[in-house]
Amino acid sequence: MTWPRLVVRNLFRRPWRTGFTTLSITLSIFLVCAVLTLPSALDALLEHAASNVRINVHHKAGMTYWLPFAFVNKMRSIPGVVGINHYSWFGGIYDEPKNLFPNFAVDPETVADVWPEYRFSPGALAAFRATRNGALVGEQTMQKFGWRIGQEITLRGTIFPVDLTFKIVGIIYPRFGSAQILWFSRKYLEEAMEGRGSFGNVGMIWLRADRPEHVDAIMQRVDDLFRNSEAEVAAETEKSFFASFFSSFKGFIRVILIVGFLVVGAVVLIAANTSAMSVRERIPEIAVLKSLGFRRRPILLALMAESTLIALTGGLAGAGGAWVILGALRAAGKTGNMPFLGPLASFTMSPAVAAEGVAVAVTVGLLAGIVPAWNGARLNVVDALRRLF
Amino acid sequence: MIEVRDVSRLYRRGVDLVHALEHVTLRIPEGRFVALMGPSGSGKSTLLNLLAGLDRPDTGEVIVAGQPLAGLDEDALAAWRARHVGLVFQFYNLIPVLSAIENVELPLLLTDLPRAERRRRAEIALRAVSLASRLDHRPQQLSGGEQQRVAIARAIVTDPDLLVADEPTGDLDAKSAVEVLTLLRELNRAFEKTVVMVTHDPRAERFVDAVIRLDKGVLVNGAGAP
Repeated sequence: MTWPRLVVRNLFRRPWRTGFTTLSITLSIFLVCAVLTLPSALDALLEHAASNVRINVHHKAGMTYWLPFAFVNKMRSIPGVVGINHYSWFGGIYDEPKNLFPNFAVDPETVADVWPEYRFSPGALAAFRATRNGALVGEQTMQKFGWRIGQEITLRGTIFPVDLTFKIVGIIYPRFGSAQILWFSRKYLEEAMEGRGSFGNVGMIWLRADRPEHVDAIMQRVDDLFRNSEAEVAAETEKSFFASFFSSFKGFIRVILIVGFLVVGAVVLIAANTSAMSVRERIPEIAVLKSLGFRRRPILLALMAESTLIALTGGLAGAGGAWVILGALRAAGKTGNMPFLGPLASFTMSPAVAAEGVAVAVTVGLLAGIVPAWNGARLNVVDALRRLF
Repeated sequence: MIEVRDVSRLYRRGVDLVHALEHVTLRIPEGRFVALMGPSGSGKSTLLNLLAGLDRPDTGEVIVAGQPLAGLDEDALAAWRARHVGLVFQFYNLIPVLSAIENVELPLLLTDLPRAERRRRAEIALRAVSLASRLDHRPQQLSGGEQQRVAIARAIVTDPDLLVADEPTGDLDAKSAVEVLTLLRELNRAFEKTVVMVTHDPRAERFVDAVIRLDKGVLVNGAGAP
């Protein structure tokens, strides 16, 4: 007979109750870990995916407003700019409306200047420059639709009154996160629009600075250049551009965080109630232990150990489960076969989040156990024995 | 030697004060087997709780084996009980999730004895109450008499000076009751343990050295050494 054995035996006194309490903590810690992963995953995405020398320029009124194409050439002469390209959102869908994904008209000549860190399939950039209707497609989109290099695909226009047929000439491999984009030549779009009203705009402009310390000056120059023009612009670094893009999710994430912690609060109350029930049922036994000479502290610690052990088990199972499941979702997302996973497939749970989950669980156990254990340890032995007989 | 000097104990029951014991003085010499008898509410269990260090008197003094209990705080009193007192209850009060030997070993968790030695002593105690073949049985697998014998083994495993039993035969059939009384008598004789037992069982009188009678919190048959 040992103290740990006594604690464990008491836990299995009512195995169903212990099991369900552990399960409730497991589920809540799983939720906590998943919720805590959301902001850290977004931060990691920004940290790794965004460049600190790439600048995004878009209409000051918002990203859905067009900029005159002439702005591209005006920016080309800004000192410190070593590459310039542009995005025009085509909004094409493949086969059916649910197959909408990011497809942009770009300048094939300067892709490597602006996104030098991107990796492409061999010969992709040369073929992209040489092929009038050539398209570079993100690895994930290729897998999602089962496309292959050399295949011709047609995207139905939703913004432009044209359907465009592209020849896939290469694959874009993501450096971080998932690549679902499709790039094609802007000239091809302009040709298609001839006779349907010319297309002289761009959605946004990408600049690459030669050095990070020149970025602020370039952004200032861009702002100055188009101040009081027909379309005022907003220039920001890619990191800040993505951050403001993701900021629309922040309120949502905050709500999820609040809900997650409310769930934890509810679980504390459930576990505390379970712990109190367990102590209440054992008042005669605790009285007997005290009468045998057990002091308050060992009784307090043994009772606390029970609730903490339940919570620790639930915490390890919840954090471990989140680790395994989020890892599996990420692996599944990489295959491109489960597009419905969305951003969930990009999230990686860090060991710090797992540790936080376990720490939350232990705190739940301590909070849930302290009051019942304290009451049990302070039990008046004569009163308790009198209740017993 | 147990000395009870002018002890009174009051309880509050709602708005009423109940005089559980009033100015009780008595002496129980070492190695005696004594029964505390009397009607319900006479103060027997209160007196037993005071002797076992489970409760404190409002006035007066209790001295057990030369130790005045009033000077001990709650933790010190618990430590004193663990070393000097073995308790037996009417309803056995074994821990249901532990086997017989684990129940008996329980008080030894408070000692510094190594695990193997705790186990050995628990086996000896169970052998002393003729339950060597029931070591690994859970309480619910034992009869009432057997459970009470496990409880007695638990009470003697620490080799206490004083064994106190509160209605140890109260929940047993006649045969088991006689077995338990015989066992307590044997422990008293063989190991010279002082045994104080609260009982309503008239059969107990045949087994004890003396009977102390109480009524309405007052000693009926005198305060002298039985």
